[in-house]
Amino acid sequence: MIQRERIRFCLSIIALALVVSMAGLALAQTKPAPDFSGAWGPYRAGRGADPKLAPPPATPVALKPEYAKAYDARRAAEAAANSRGEPLANPSSSCVPYGVPSMMSVAVYPIEIIQTPKQVTIIAEAFSEVRRIFMDRPQMKIDEVPPGYYGRSVGRWEGDTLVIDTVGIKETVQYQRMPHSDQMRIIERIRLVAPDLLHDQITIEDPVVLQKPYTYTLAYRRLPDYEMVEFVCDNNREYVDENGVVRMRVREK
Amino acid sequence: MNSAAGAKVIGMTIFAGMILAGANLAWAHHSFSMFDQTKQVSLSGVVTAFEWTNPHAYIEIDVTGDGGAVKHWSVEMGSPSILMQSGWKFKDLKRGDKVKVTLSPLKDGKPGGLLVQATLPDGRVLGNGPGRGPAQPSTGASNQ
Repeated sequence: MIQRERIRFCLSIIALALVVSMAGLALAQTKPAPDFSGAWGPYRAGRGADPKLAPPPATPVALKPEYAKAYDARRAAEAAANSRGEPLANPSSSCVPYGVPSMMSVAVYPIEIIQTPKQVTIIAEAFSEVRRIFMDRPQMKIDEVPPGYYGRSVGRWEGDTLVIDTVGIKETVQYQRMPHSDQMRIIERIRLVAPDLLHDQITIEDPVVLQKPYTYTLAYRRLPDYEMVEFVCDNNREYVDENGVVRMRVREK
Repeated sequence: MNSAAGAKVIGMTIFAGMILAGANLAWAHHSFSMFDQTKQVSLSGVVTAFEWTNPHAYIEIDVTGDGGAVKHWSVEMGSPSILMQSGWKFKDLKRGDKVKVTLSPLKDGKPGGLLVQATLPDGRVLGNGPGRGPAQPSTGASNQ
């Protein structure tokens, strides 16, 4: 008798599990991941922009005091140099790639997203930078990823949101001159906020350098007919003088 | 593929972006503070080279002064991608063409500057990317 009840109980559990998994399957079939594939141009607040679709403001940069001093000094030096008309060089002045996350918002250049089930690839038009987001692999420990410009990114879908986890960004690869340690982790949440408008909420976590995470959001507008343009930096006529100032090389004739 | 329409769409987007650009941008390839954007210099000359390259395109021109002396100027432009959004094509200028350019001069006094607008041999007037150039107010945008 008890044995039969046990069997019945087990069967009902199995049946329930089947129903739940089929429901999950049905849900997955009716709600496939949104398709972000295509070219996207920056969309920012301003003339003609819908304020509801514009990205929210960034959070304050909360560096720990020991890092804030150098950061503030550098920003001040940069502002002073600009007002003198002698801009200070940054890696990009020499065509060194921007890396993650800066490549996601270089001036007014578009990005292109290529989405497949196993990998999302993002190509920035400016300097032709490429990042690959693995959708079918776990993240590695930070210490196991060789530091680079794009680090190692893995992605997963949370409903309609593509969540990207990136580690392994070189310390010289900075966003707006913010210092970071080798423990930095970048979490991005990419989703459509309107049919042709994408937001990428970028959160930088760094327990060594930051008092609390820094979050900013980028907005992109779909460019259905846009053909991405090649960008190879083979004629860089800006050079850096002995004082670290960027100057334009003029020709004699 | 209708790239002209695409360019128009992105042009509008970019112009909107230029207005309040700055907050969430990566730093620019270089600041434009090396140019004196409060000044405009107009030059008429002969093109010696038109370089359709990255990170910037350039017009090289020889300008003959009143006394007959020739002075050479290098004129920096946006990138080809940026320029296409304001109507430029890679064949719009060639060596030997007569061109009139308005530029913001280098602050260090060297004979170079940042293009404001160019009048081509066929009479077209083109700017230096969306939000820059003819009929556009100066936005002070400094990202390219």
